[in-house]
Amino acid sequence: MIEARDLVKRYGSFEAVRGVTFTVPEGQVVGLLGPNGAGKTTIMRILTCYHFPSSGTARVNAHDVREEPLEVKKSVGYLPENAPLYADLKVLEYLRFIARIRGLPPAALRERVEWSIAQCGLAPVVYRDIGRLSKGYRQRVGLAQAILHDPRTLIMDEPTTGLDPGQIIEIRELIRELGREKTVVLSTHILQEVESICDEVIILNNGLVAAQGTAGELERSLASAVVLAVVVQARSAGEVDRELESFEQGRVTRRPSDLGSGRVLFELALDTGVSESAVFDWAVSRGLKIAGMTPKSSNLEEIFLKLTRPGQADA
Amino acid sequence: MRNILVIAGRELRSSFNTPVAYVVIVFFLLFTSVWFFFIQQFFAQDNASLRDYFGVFPAAFVLLIPAISMRSWAEERKLGTHELLLTFPVRDVELVLGKYLAGMALLAVILVLTAAIPLGVTPFGPFDRGPILTEYLGALLLGGAELSIGIFISAVSTSQITSFLISAFCLLVLSFIGEVPKFVEMPDGAAAVVTYLSLDYHFDSFREGLIDSRDIAYFLLAAFVFLYANVKALLIAKWR
Repeated sequence: MIEARDLVKRYGSFEAVRGVTFTVPEGQVVGLLGPNGAGKTTIMRILTCYHFPSSGTARVNAHDVREEPLEVKKSVGYLPENAPLYADLKVLEYLRFIARIRGLPPAALRERVEWSIAQCGLAPVVYRDIGRLSKGYRQRVGLAQAILHDPRTLIMDEPTTGLDPGQIIEIRELIRELGREKTVVLSTHILQEVESICDEVIILNNGLVAAQGTAGELERSLASAVVLAVVVQARSAGEVDRELESFEQGRVTRRPSDLGSGRVLFELALDTGVSESAVFDWAVSRGLKIAGMTPKSSNLEEIFLKLTRPGQADA
Repeated sequence: MRNILVIAGRELRSSFNTPVAYVVIVFFLLFTSVWFFFIQQFFAQDNASLRDYFGVFPAAFVLLIPAISMRSWAEERKLGTHELLLTFPVRDVELVLGKYLAGMALLAVILVLTAAIPLGVTPFGPFDRGPILTEYLGALLLGGAELSIGIFISAVSTSQITSFLISAFCLLVLSFIGEVPKFVEMPDGAAAVVTYLSLDYHFDSFREGLIDSRDIAYFLLAAFVFLYANVKALLIAKWR
């Protein structure tokens, strides 16, 4: 459980976080989403007690970050950006160090180190110098370090940045697995990541929360229309244009145009709550055959751009 | 205490996994030996004393101590491990003492290795064991005070190189500031203060085989002040 209230963090005269309030319920996976410089890393640094907030409060597992930092730190596993590690230690040496500094008793130490090695697939590299590992393995060592003491809460700053597609899928799988029993906060600027692993999204922009909710909630509340590019088989664009007048569950955002060989392209913005099947029903009722249909953009992406693009904040 | 040992253990492991520790050790042993046997011409002097050997320690420490301490915080910040280190469930004072203990352990290893010199020359004359042990105690105290200064400077500097250069400069000034009144005209009070601040001045009595509680207090106080400042520097960084 994480509760942040009116968090503000100033670095000199620069305000990195400007009054952020949010709650992450126990056992949820929440993604902080935002462009670079939105304040994601700063918020994570406050939650992990690396920095104190300039004002406002944050409580992690019922402990205040300023009053009981040691208690907060005990219950949190942290993977900072780029997984910083001691390059001159071997993987096993490093994980043993983490286990000791986390205060694990010697009896549990061995078992937990082995568990985290197995969880993160590190067995092939345990005797290798960390400095010689690939980016993917380094990231996994960082993750192994974060979960070693079985924390209630995991905080991860861009856990998949710099990995290849295969590694990204593996790490996401692992995070999803961990998220079943732990509270997880992760930051990213990759939208699919949020859609694929997070229960809830907090969109940050310029140090403020621009929107918060599940992906579905955000779509509904922002009434962002689903835009479809549709190709139908028809004699002419004009014919399709006439038939479209009878379509009442959305509006045409691009008038039909001929693609040649009897195919006509147009674009539709569906009304809120209307699914793609309405377009099929309409086509059938008008005797048109749909040759193809593609969503113009991921919905979350549209929301994200709407909220974070300069000059469109009020859109 | 346990946490301090864990931190110190990690520091030492990192130091000995890389050439750094070995280079530092070899440098110091070579530097002091060359000084003693070739420059001071120990065997030509016909004097059963190691005062000249220990006499070069303050000068050698000006380079040795910054070489040991420069990594401690500056390296962590460069690697980014600083961020993890400070989010482990460990008090700031334990982090500082862990790093300090690691530096002291490396220094102790070096001092033990220098024992080859006293042990090697004893067959050649009636050496007195007392002064030699006193000289070692003095070297440990001097090094301890200097290490706390070096580690503090590493905590507030941006890179290992700046940490090394600033520490070396500070130690150079602090070590030999006591010589200034010999060359520059100044009021007696000021001269006394300047002399009293000098690290070398307090090490000198150990070199003569004297254990003076005031000198011990001076070195311990210096170590304490800079370790304390280091803990405060960590705290200030969290608020900035």
